[in-house]
Amino acid sequence: MLHEIPLYTISVEVNERTYTEKVPAQMTLLQFLRERLCLTGAKEGCGVGECGACTVLLNGKAVDACLVLAVEADQASVRTVEGEARDGELTLLQRAFIEHGAVQCGFCTSGMLLSAQSLLEKNPHPDQEEIVEAISGNLCRCTGYVQILEAIEAVALGREEGG
Amino acid sequence: MIRPFKYSKPRFLREALEALEKENTRALAGGSDLLVEMREGKSQPEHIVDVKAIPELSCFSIGKDGITIGGQLSLNELADSKELGQTCPILGDAVRTVATPQVRNRATLVGNLCTASPAADMAPPLFVLNAAVVVASKAGEQRIPIQRFFQGPKKNCLTPGQLVLRVEIPPCSSGRGVFMKKSRVQGHDLATINVAGWANPQDGSLRICIGACGPTPVLLTGSDELYQRAVSRDELLDGLAMLAQDQIAPIDDLRASAAYRRHLVTVFLGRMVRILFPEEGGTSRAS
Amino acid sequence: MSTDQEYRYIGKGISRLDGLEKVTGSAQFVHDMAFPGMLYGKTVKSPHACARIVSIDISEAEKMPGVCAVLVGRELPYKVGIYMIDKDILAKGVARYQGEPVVAVAARSELAAEEACAKVKIVWEELPAVLDPREGLALAAPLVHPELASYSYMKGVFQPQPGTNISHHQKIRKGDAEKAIDQAEIVWKTQFYNPPVQHVAMETHTCIAHALPGSQARIWTSAQSPFTVRNLFSACFGIPHQNIRVHVPYVGGGFGGKAGIHLEPLAYLLSHKAGGRPVKLTMTREEEFGTIPSRQGLYSQFTTGATRDGKIVSLIATYIWDAGAYADYGVNVGRAASYSGAGPYEVPNCRIDSLVVYTNKVFGTAYRGFGHLEVLWGIERNMDIGARQLGLDPVEFRRRNVLRPGAKTITGETISEHTGRVDLCLEKVAEEIGWSGIQTEEERAQARDSGKLRGKGVALLHKAPAMPVFTSSAALLKFNENGSVDLLTSITDYGQGTYTALAQCAAEELKMPIERIHVPWESDTALTPFDWQTVASRGAFMGCKAVMAAARDALQQIKETAAQILRAPVGELVCRDEAVFVAHRPEERLSYREVVMGYSYANGNSIGGPVIGRGHYIAQGLTHLDLETGQGLPALDWTYGAHGVEIEVDLETGEITVLNLATALDVGQVLNAQSLRGQIIGGVVQGLGSALLEEFRFSPQGRLLNAGFVDYKIPTSKDLPRKMSQHMILTEQLDGPYGARGAAEHPMISIPGAIGNALCDALGIDFFELPLNAERVWLGIQRQRSVLQNTLPRAIMLPQAIKLPQTVHLDRGGG
Repeated sequence: MLHEIPLYTISVEVNERTYTEKVPAQMTLLQFLRERLCLTGAKEGCGVGECGACTVLLNGKAVDACLVLAVEADQASVRTVEGEARDGELTLLQRAFIEHGAVQCGFCTSGMLLSAQSLLEKNPHPDQEEIVEAISGNLCRCTGYVQILEAIEAVALGREEGG
Repeated sequence: MIRPFKYSKPRFLREALEALEKENTRALAGGSDLLVEMREGKSQPEHIVDVKAIPELSCFSIGKDGITIGGQLSLNELADSKELGQTCPILGDAVRTVATPQVRNRATLVGNLCTASPAADMAPPLFVLNAAVVVASKAGEQRIPIQRFFQGPKKNCLTPGQLVLRVEIPPCSSGRGVFMKKSRVQGHDLATINVAGWANPQDGSLRICIGACGPTPVLLTGSDELYQRAVSRDELLDGLAMLAQDQIAPIDDLRASAAYRRHLVTVFLGRMVRILFPEEGGTSRAS
Repeated sequence: MSTDQEYRYIGKGISRLDGLEKVTGSAQFVHDMAFPGMLYGKTVKSPHACARIVSIDISEAEKMPGVCAVLVGRELPYKVGIYMIDKDILAKGVARYQGEPVVAVAARSELAAEEACAKVKIVWEELPAVLDPREGLALAAPLVHPELASYSYMKGVFQPQPGTNISHHQKIRKGDAEKAIDQAEIVWKTQFYNPPVQHVAMETHTCIAHALPGSQARIWTSAQSPFTVRNLFSACFGIPHQNIRVHVPYVGGGFGGKAGIHLEPLAYLLSHKAGGRPVKLTMTREEEFGTIPSRQGLYSQFTTGATRDGKIVSLIATYIWDAGAYADYGVNVGRAASYSGAGPYEVPNCRIDSLVVYTNKVFGTAYRGFGHLEVLWGIERNMDIGARQLGLDPVEFRRRNVLRPGAKTITGETISEHTGRVDLCLEKVAEEIGWSGIQTEEERAQARDSGKLRGKGVALLHKAPAMPVFTSSAALLKFNENGSVDLLTSITDYGQGTYTALAQCAAEELKMPIERIHVPWESDTALTPFDWQTVASRGAFMGCKAVMAAARDALQQIKETAAQILRAPVGELVCRDEAVFVAHRPEERLSYREVVMGYSYANGNSIGGPVIGRGHYIAQGLTHLDLETGQGLPALDWTYGAHGVEIEVDLETGEITVLNLATALDVGQVLNAQSLRGQIIGGVVQGLGSALLEEFRFSPQGRLLNAGFVDYKIPTSKDLPRKMSQHMILTEQLDGPYGARGAAEHPMISIPGAIGNALCDALGIDFFELPLNAERVWLGIQRQRSVLQNTLPRAIMLPQAIKLPQTVHLDRGGG
């Protein structure tokens, strides 16, 4: 065991704001976001990359924040659910989630939203199979997924109105 | 909880190789296996060497000489490569069955191999494609056939101070491959079994690899001869099933019993052969 | 029957009130909370199913950096339990299941707590364990609780059998079941098994406890029932209720797993020992599987008698529950599932013995459906098997036996035309799947060449809330200065949509826009009114009843003030659009805003005052069940339903694909179309988990082998049926809010039965054990030729020793 826990300085852009912090190597990105930055939207549902509740976007890609070390995020940009709405204006996807009943207990919601958002940014008009695949790494025990898929599909088909 | 450790992210291969010579040191690429092991206390390295800044590990080329995939390449970078999908669809098919989209954005092909799980989804296609793993140490580079890389359950052939630079796949323009996986759910799961097959009518070779049915993926021996000898698809299939049953050594575990695995192997060999040789009757070596 | 048009909000698909907080990540769960000076708790758990604690050495753990408290069982003279007070807060003397907490540590970080736990040295002496409840019933079986006779329990309801492993024996006796079987024209016997499974709420159990001076406690917990936590906490420590304050903010799913009390006492004791610093205790996912209670397993056995023309004359059922190491809700599951234990059928003679049996495994608790999924798996398969014996179509056989107005349930309740229509649910799902009868062997043989066989099946369900006779709810409607309303309740909305339904109800009754009704997303036993528990599909029913009463109370207060201002009798006033006026003079109106904080005349004289509507509802007409016969009125409301499915089976791999799944429920009235649909789809998919995937796997020594998502699979977005549909039957419940009934648990209850029946239709093979995973189905196909249909796999045979009730060991020393 290490007697003195070494600290590493990292500089991470989170939701377009840069944070420079000293962190121990064993700190995960999830712990960093939740405990250091108090961004608790990403949740720990399993800690081993099986449930997707901690999904955030790392350099634009959906990742399980529990399986990324904070030191690995040095110089990276991170997006969490807290950064999605701008000036109180929800994203189309966030609105669709509310309107389509895609939210129940809400514990998986942040991760679901970011998985879906990363799909839509890469592929604005995905088909149903692609939508199902995009959220297949996000477990939800409440909804049975259908209303979540419908919400994403509504945005993909341009049924959700902008602005 | 992950116990404390020291972290370094060398930018030069030589630095990394030196660091990896130290005791209780592990290389970190995608981290999707290593961090889980560390969280569960199955592994407690004192030093972690992040290899994602080493230029030698970032190569990715698809050409006449074959395919080269560096140690930093994530599974989704492979899945998203249209060129790879066209040149070697069997790899793309296998990649998309590994874990979840989020994990595939981090996990690397090389990491999947280094974990050396008997059920590694990327192993069977690389076995049948005759891939090799290029390993570096201070003594130089070494090219290890993938079969030799897998030593046993969760055991690869690397020794301290060695690092996998890349995977090299020989040209695969002539031939046709199939990958199949059976797991307990449609969603992400470890393979109950996985199989890959590669048939090359030009040189009369047929390579078949079966995962999760032994301490390492099992590359069937004797399949070429069967392929060359068989006069019908059914005969080939029967022969392959016998070979497979003889060479695999599945165990009972949480995912399936050994008996069910044996049964699935025969079923999936059948399905695979029917895709490799779509015509009823012959095995169309002439085409 | 009421129509939707009469209502402005009831029945509409109003989106969740808390959607905004949840899509922006600002909803705070206990998981997200931290306080200054807060410590983190971790536990050392038993590695054995049953073992004596020879010694515990915590000296090194105490010295670890950051450690503020280390607790062992022997210093804790407390026991906890809801119906049976049988559980130590940390194991004392003996650990009764692998995963049971034995030592607890509070430290300044989770890592420090975990490292200290690793330094605890425990010497164990392994003891023989009871791992199978059938073996636990044997005379020579070791006793999981030799001290059973000394435990306190809810008398008059439960019947523990000291000197045995039986924590409760529920009896239902109607008519003369044995005689009717002897005289029946057709008799058949079947046996079934359900494995233990986990709830898998996405937020694991977590709480923060703060031990304050003067025997005061504050608790923030991810729980369903704040007042039950407070009440059991008070009983455990002897701290008066008013000194305990329980907060429940947003909760990340419950499904029954958070119904009672779990980590709160231990977190409190750690806080106390650490000098009053708050302590947070959170289960990892692995602990959620191995330490926190689950859904208990069930062995069921049926002997059924019928006339040749398909009328059931008698049913004898034995239910043996694999309750695990502690009683928790398990005893009540064994009780509640019994009074529904013949299915939604008229059974003139019935005898049910439901035995809740302690075993050395992680213990059972409430889980969505409260025993009904388990018993109905057997009942609904038993109906299809019976139909085959009788040469009847399974749908027709059900038609001839379903409960209809005038029929008596097995506890003696008379069904009325307002109880609900299971027959209509049956017809609806049969129509939706295009039911045309069981396939013949010839039809199957024709399809077999394709390698895939299709099959259809139906299954019925019913459930009433399982709750004490005195169960109550209360609500407060507190007006704000601008005429808006805060709705205070201690029902917990952990996803079901209850708060939205309550707000719809308040808006409807108060005649005001729903946007002006606010439900604070936190229950606080010091500030929100009493509610018994959020369980049993009772929240919307009883909560709405309380809100309706509170609204009447508030409107009365508004009218009393307005009557003086408008100089009109109260009885002449009406309320509409947030205003009060004399019925025939709507132009002379007073807005609520002008009245609810009191009214000032021009000269300054003021009348009225802040309006706070108060309402309550207590379950009406329930009776205790007779201990010997089970006769009585246990049900607030019966919700009936049916599922119909079409599946495809891969003959080579045994894999099942669900092609079509139709659900019909007699909900009486839809309160919120969107959340009801969400409840049904969510329940159906959770039911598919039970039907196809989920089970705890134990080693021969009783160790849980799949405590995590790697080897315990729940359905993902890729595991859905190709088609699902939901159908509402609307038979008004006379005392239900707007005629509605509860519907939260029901969608998952008979999914396994429907799938099992469809599987039998496809293959001509009976399956008796869950889950119907690909390997089990494949094994069944392999055995098809070698085993006669209807003979049972040996694995689930019940022991001969438990012929009831004459055997000595069951009756000895009844409580």
